[in-house]
Amino acid sequence: MISHLVCALSLVVFYSLQTAVFSQATLISGTADVVLLFLAAWSLQEQVKNSWLWTVIAGMLISLASAMPLFAPLIAYIGVVSISKLIQKKVWRSPILAMFIVTLLGTLFQQGLYILVLQISGADIPLGISLDHVTLPSLLLNLIFALPVYAVVSELVGRIYPLEVET
Amino acid sequence: MKFLNSKNIQTIVIIVVVAGLLFLALSGYLTPVFNLSLNPLISFQRWLSVRYLSASDFLTTPSDVVQLREQNAVLESQVTQLQTQLIEMEERLGEAQVCFALLDFGRTNPQYEYIAATVIGREISPFLQYIIIDKGTEDGVRYGMPVVTQQGLVGRVDAVIASASRVKLISDTTSVVNIQLQSAEIEAQLQGSLTGDLSLDMIPLDEIIEPGDVVLTSGLGGNYPPNIFVGQVLSTQQRENALFQTASVQPIVNFESINAVLVIDNFESIDISPLIPEP
Repeated sequence: MISHLVCALSLVVFYSLQTAVFSQATLISGTADVVLLFLAAWSLQEQVKNSWLWTVIAGMLISLASAMPLFAPLIAYIGVVSISKLIQKKVWRSPILAMFIVTLLGTLFQQGLYILVLQISGADIPLGISLDHVTLPSLLLNLIFALPVYAVVSELVGRIYPLEVET
Repeated sequence: MKFLNSKNIQTIVIIVVVAGLLFLALSGYLTPVFNLSLNPLISFQRWLSVRYLSASDFLTTPSDVVQLREQNAVLESQVTQLQTQLIEMEERLGEAQVCFALLDFGRTNPQYEYIAATVIGREISPFLQYIIIDKGTEDGVRYGMPVVTQQGLVGRVDAVIASASRVKLISDTTSVVNIQLQSAEIEAQLQGSLTGDLSLDMIPLDEIIEPGDVVLTSGLGGNYPPNIFVGQVLSTQQRENALFQTASVQPIVNFESINAVLVIDNFESIDISPLIPEP
């Protein structure tokens, strides 16, 4: 129960931070996606069992709030968590390395999906410019913020799961 | 001869010696002797005085330190309060400046009614250029309403909920604005891009466009009211064998730093999409 509550509150905080702060702090035209980083870090935690549920909830809510068509954020976040679960099984001894791998692959998947969806919906998205101006800067920013977000999430999980065991 | 007894002689000798010493002292002959004898005395006095002051400081300082610390704490709290007040005043001044600027825009364009709103967020995807404002249907904001600042055109309302709205900026890659160039009286379409740059397309080659030409909304298409300032032509590009020329436009509004906007309340946008024949 506590983990659901903490996850919900964390998502609210990370979404607010994303729209109010990180979306305005651009590198060329790219921005960090701390919601993606939170979901990746959350799903990488071994104790966490509700990552799929909250990925779907977060994805749906962000899809409704975002102007991205076709529920692209939902699909992107599900993809990121899928990658995270796959990596968790393969690189289980080094969670920080796993976080970086998930961030790298997840960001590329998300950005690729966004480009595809926008092109399907008729927007003029040149692939080269997208890569240079948005995807690579966003990837760099996500890799920079991956470690602090992972540290915060690990700390949160470390605090709530002993509580759950006690209760 | 009783006067010259031994006692009187002793007295006279003493008086003569003292007078002589006084005479010698006053005439400066005894200065080296005085220096020689007073210097050690002064040194000793200085040493004693320094020790006394040190001892006095040692004994009296603790109470002073406590007092000074209290005063310092009071002053620090006052400084903190004043700094907080200063920050608040600066924030209010900034808000007031924005409000005055928006008010000026409202006064210079009295034909429209406005809803003032604050920008509270931005689109989560970096591929799209949208902002989120703190006014929604409860405040009278409706889908399609144009959004401006005191400087010029910002975009139009794309989605609304009760207490917030999403505004598509004119710099968005899917945004198209019908514009006119004030100097050349040319009508064209202004298009956003992935990087947020604005460009004009489909301008006939025989039209002369100069950098610095003013770009205004034309009102065609029914999405935006006419004659709202959009920006200025930055440069023109003519490719060989191309049928049209293109131009880059510098927007008047800095989309990175919009804090407050005005939603034009009494402009009815017209949806002409049913009139456009499908290919």
